[in-house]
Amino acid sequence: MTQEQTQTHPVVEDNAPAIELQDVVKTYNTGGETIDALAGVDLAIEAGEFLAIVGPSGSGKSTLLNILGLLDVPTSGAVRIHDRDVTTLSERERTTARKESIGFVFQDFHLLPSLTATENVCVPTMFDTGRDATGRAEQLLTRVGLGDRLTHTPDELSGGQQQRVAIARALINEPTIVLADEPTGNLDQDTGHTILDEFRRVCDAGVSVIAVTHDEVVTTYADRTIELIDGVIHRG
Amino acid sequence: MASGSTTTAERLQHELKRLIPAVKMARRNLTRNTLRTALAALGVLIGVFAIASLGLFGNILALSASAELGGIGNQLIITPNEDAGVTGLDIRDVDAVTRAVGTDGTAVPLLTTSGLLSASGGQTFGQVYGADNPAALFTAREGTIPDRHRQGAIVGGDVAETLDLRIGSAIEVESSRYRVIAILESEELLTPVNPNSAVILPEAAFAQRSYDQIVVQAQSGESASVIAERVRTQLNSREERVSVFELSSILETIDEFFSLLNQFLLGIAGISLVVAGVSIFNVMLMSTTERRQEIGVLRAVGVQKGDVLRVLLAEAVLLGVIGGLFGALFAGLAAIGLVFIAPIGFDVVLVASNAVYLFGAFVFGVIVCLLSGLYPAYKAATLRPVEALRG
Repeated sequence: MTQEQTQTHPVVEDNAPAIELQDVVKTYNTGGETIDALAGVDLAIEAGEFLAIVGPSGSGKSTLLNILGLLDVPTSGAVRIHDRDVTTLSERERTTARKESIGFVFQDFHLLPSLTATENVCVPTMFDTGRDATGRAEQLLTRVGLGDRLTHTPDELSGGQQQRVAIARALINEPTIVLADEPTGNLDQDTGHTILDEFRRVCDAGVSVIAVTHDEVVTTYADRTIELIDGVIHRG
Repeated sequence: MASGSTTTAERLQHELKRLIPAVKMARRNLTRNTLRTALAALGVLIGVFAIASLGLFGNILALSASAELGGIGNQLIITPNEDAGVTGLDIRDVDAVTRAVGTDGTAVPLLTTSGLLSASGGQTFGQVYGADNPAALFTAREGTIPDRHRQGAIVGGDVAETLDLRIGSAIEVESSRYRVIAILESEELLTPVNPNSAVILPEAAFAQRSYDQIVVQAQSGESASVIAERVRTQLNSREERVSVFELSSILETIDEFFSLLNQFLLGIAGISLVVAGVSIFNVMLMSTTERRQEIGVLRAVGVQKGDVLRVLLAEAVLLGVIGGLFGALFAGLAAIGLVFIAPIGFDVVLVASNAVYLFGAFVFGVIVCLLSGLYPAYKAATLRPVEALRG
């Protein structure tokens, strides 16, 4: 696959970061004890950047990913997508913002077992009235090399193929950012490489990719790696 | 995007449009575990079947009872009040009753005795009525009942059978011979004057001139009670000469009994639908718990709470619709089957009130499913996506 494909993604003209965290703090209360999962994180990811976040278990990686993915709200601090403050959005608005700007790729792929590859890619658009994303879904699947697997259900696909379906699903709504939680965690090394190649191509198309990982290989594909320890960023 | 100025109609249309993908998704989810879906639907089926069939059977029972008894509601029996020393009704009483009846019905004075009936086919003991105008009370199977009964014997179905009588046969009643001019329809119905084992002779055949009862055949139940009132005021103004017995009062009691019976049956059937509701609740709770992560993924990729709720409620309603349709179908078939095994006619099965029972049971089943699905669906839809994803 080459790069001369026309890009349908919005190209950001200004220099505003794709997503930006400002002094984000997240504390949890468990059994009367306050835990700082994130203790003042500042982070800006540019359009088309591939960022890897590493760190030991319990360092706050998942919390960071959840806040970047608008699945969780910070205790204090601000989250901006393209200079738009999304920190105080309502639940419903956050859901809409997720749908418009963010794609998710999970360790366990999380495809719906009863749907075909194409239908799985269309899931985020399923409840859009009067929109048929089938054409775009097929195009995306072809782009990730699954043009001959369009009508296969997840149990008929290998792990790597399922993860590529998941990447296509993450791209269906032309997001600004793709968030990946241990994207290679359930894949063998070779398959992992093909998935990371895929992420590289996504970045080349102007979409930022943020991957939380334990996998050293991921960092070799990333433009930048940051290490999170006890809720604080240590530049990698 | 929904703007503040959308009308209710537009919003409704918008809701309906969102319902289509929800129902498609729900259908697909139900086919994922067909055994569980089938069992849940079976629970609803049994509940709806129980309600529909017990409701139907009760209704059919009540309908066929009133079909059997319907005729007697139009009848009045006027008898002499023996407590007041009146032993028989004379011609003046008959005239008074006839005037009271007017054009609302027909009064048939009856002389009553019993005696030995014999013919070439044998002999039997039977009721003997004397009546000049029996046509209002009885219907003939063979021959005709004359408007003015002047000669010949009208015989009941049983008598004709026992004595092997035909039109024109001779029958001897208490040593007088008569020609059979009509044979009566066998009456299955409960009637005050049962003709099956009776012979009806002209009044002239009787020596007695005092009537034992006057049967009034009114045109309807209402006119029967109007006539009863008029008879009471005209004949009982000075002394209680006659007792007037309205058979419609029995009918009312019977109707009340049947409606009580029906409510009782429906109550029992309702319990089974509640059980079905609990099973749907359980199935929904199980399947949403199993699909926590999946629901989390849907929420993460931007599916709104409301849409998740719609999908899950659509699943519950689909279970209700599938189970309810089959339940109502089987109940309908059972009701039709009743015609073949019980002395019940299609006329009481194929009536609108039965369709109401079928439809009502179906709707009730769907509602029970919807209610049972509410909590599990709400719980799953409002789960925070972060927690749902954690599994």
